This record gives sequence, C-alpha cells and structure tokens, in this order.
Amino acid sequence: MTNKLTWTELRRLLAQRAGVSEKEAALFLSTFNNQLIEALKKDKQVKINGLGIFRLQAVAPRKSVNVKTGEQITIEGYNKLVFAPEAGVKEMVANGPSAPEFDELTPLKKLGEQAEEIVDLLADLGQSPKKDTPKEEIPETPAPVIEEPAPAVETPAPKVEIPKKEEPQKEAPKKKKHHFFRDLLITMLILMMLTAGGYYFMRTQIAGLLEKMLEPQQTEVVEQAPEEVVATDTVEVAPAVDTVPMEPIFYEELITIEHIRNGSRLTWISKKYYGDKIYWPYLYDANRDQITNPSDIEVGTPIRVPKLTPEQLDTTIERSRLRLEQLTREAQEACKKK
Amino acid sequence: MLTKELIGNIAEATGLSKKSIEHLLSTNNAIMREHLVAGKAVQLQGLGTLEIKERKERTIVHPRTGERTVVPAKSQLVFRAVANLKDELKKS
Repeated sequence: MTNKLTWTELRRLLAQRAGVSEKEAALFLSTFNNQLIEALKKDKQVKINGLGIFRLQAVAPRKSVNVKTGEQITIEGYNKLVFAPEAGVKEMVANGPSAPEFDELTPLKKLGEQAEEIVDLLADLGQSPKKDTPKEEIPETPAPVIEEPAPAVETPAPKVEIPKKEEPQKEAPKKKKHHFFRDLLITMLILMMLTAGGYYFMRTQIAGLLEKMLEPQQTEVVEQAPEEVVATDTVEVAPAVDTVPMEPIFYEELITIEHIRNGSRLTWISKKYYGDKIYWPYLYDANRDQITNPSDIEVGTPIRVPKLTPEQLDTTIERSRLRLEQLTREAQEACKKK
Repeated sequence: MLTKELIGNIAEATGLSKKSIEHLLSTNNAIMREHLVAGKAVQLQGLGTLEIKERKERTIVHPRTGERTVVPAKSQLVFRAVANLKDELKKS
C-alpha cells in the first residue's frame, strides 16, 4: 500500500462505513469538492466540523525588481488556499496514532472502558439514570473474559450478544456528548480568557482615571487632616521641620515643560517623570510663581518639570523624606487657597 | 461558510437529504482523520492533498532577551491544493 489514501479507496471506505452504495459515495465526494470550491469563491472561508477550516488568504501585491534589467515591476496580488486543522485534529496529528478521542474502531477490549467513560460523562451531567448501572456491570464482565479466553462455552455466548446490542446504541450518544463537552470546555476557556483580558485592559487603561478619582479625595482629606495636625503640632513640629531644610531648593536642570491640559494633574506629571505621584509637591515647589492652588491650575499653564536628584527621589533618606513631607504640607496648604 | 450551510448546499446539489449528507460528511471526516493520524496522506480529487509533514526540532532566539529555546520536533497537518485549483482561486 502506498502512503496515500487515494480517492478510490476513500470512496470505497466511505461507502462501506456509511452504508451507502459506492455510486452515492462518489456523488457525495465530488459534490463535496465542487461545493467546497464554490463556497470558497463566495465566502473565502469554509468551516468543516471535525476537520478544519479552508480559507482563501489574500496575498497583497508587492513591488519587485526585474533581476535582469533592474526594472521596477509589481507582482500582482493573489489568493492562496490555506487549511487550518481543528484544534483536536491538530493535536491528534501531533501526538501520533495514540489518539483516543476519535477512535471509532474500538476493539472489544475497550468496551469496558467505554462504558465507564459514558457513566462518568452521565454522572457529570448530573443525570445518573437507572439504566446505566446495569450497563456498567455488563460490559465489565466481558472485558476480563476476553483477556483470558479459557472459560466455559456458556459464558462467552451471552457476553458477545450484550456488547453487540449496546455498541450501536452507545457509540452515537458517546460521540455527541464528547463533542458537547469539548465545545463547552472550549467556550468556557475562551470566556475566561476574555474576562481576564478585559480585566487587564481595564486595569491598565483606567489606572489613569482612578488616579484622577483619587486625587480629589486626597485634597479633600488634606483639607481636613492637616488642619488638625497643624493646629495641634504647630508649636513643636513646624519649627523642627523648618530648621532642617528651609533653604529653597534650586532646580538646576529641567527635564521638560508640560502644559496643563484640561483634566491633567500634578500627580500625573509626577508619575510620568518621576515614577510615582508622591513627588508632585516638587512640581508645585518648582512652579510656585505660577501656581497658587495646586488643585486648580489654569489650563495652558506651562509647568517646569525639574530634574530631581536620586537623593531627592529616595524617600528612605531622612532628609529627603522630611523635605518632601514639608513640601507636601506646604502644597496642601496652598490647595486651600482660592 | 459554516458546515451547516455547506451540508445544505451539497444536499441541494445531490438531491439527497441533509441528514444523510451530514452522516456521509462526518463518516468521511472520521475516515480521513484515522488515516491522517496513522501518517497517511489523503487525496481529495480536484482539491488537493491533506498530508502530514514532519517539522524538525529547531532553536529560536527571543529577540529581546536573547534567550534560546528549543522547539521540539512535531508533525503538522498541511493541505496542498492542486495546481488547477490554485490558479482558479488566484483570480477570484
């Protein structure tokens, strides 16, 4: 035998398996081919369940050069017929001949396993009908007997009868259920992936929006909290802080100048250039001449974004931390102005 | 086009019932799958050949990290259209 299933062989097998005449099988096969081509021309894509998708892929026109003359030529675009196997089929092919799913020529030995599978499936469905329990018992007996074909003549006879009866009844539902379950699983997986993807998208895209929501909250909180703090601690804390870094910071280098747009915030700019929104008071500090109220800056105001030293950005250093805290307090004070 | 429509079209063209066409198609697919899995190519007259191609093991390099990974050898199902059909479809 050659390593190819020819059309004639396919026709013969199909006729046998489907229980039709060869003529009918041939008619089916040729019509199938014709209709497939017609469908491809019409829809550019034909899906065949249990096999895969035939698709017409457009190849765009491209420019090239005539190798002999150096002349510019265009290679016309055209359609290419490609085939993408169904996931299950692809897997089966990749895994080689040991593919259980579409195994139709199940040998007798496997009947027991089949019955078990069906019972499992039915149990999964939540319907464990009374019929199944006997079914389970019956095929289990023939399985061991076939392995040891020694026993009495009486036993094998009924056993052969029983599987024969059940085979046609069971195989059909089994296959359907298998497909049903696989499809269900696949749809569930896709749904899960979609939700996960959507969630991720929301998180990344709406992070900005969230910040926007958070900022007003901050200012509100600020309006209440510092008042108390300042009120109680003015005597002790304020002077203490004042002593440490009261000399104004001189910003040597500018990274850039940002223009305030409708809805932008200092915290955003801070996050954009310094990596965290907590450094926004530095922006206020560097632009004191232009900003009276950091939470209400006029649209179009150019904001100088100074370059901060690594020391200033490191909040683990006491000095930087205190400086930032103080600036924050000052900026928050300014938020209350009108 | 989906399988259902294709079945409808075939049924119309042959004058057979949709059910029998469905049965024939699924049986046909099953036969083809069996042979493909066994490593045999399947010839579809007028269309082309479905065959298994061995893909050799190869190394790929992640362009950013420069990491090298081995893609194991595998077999793949490919379809080769008949030359006539290729030309016919090129223009459409």
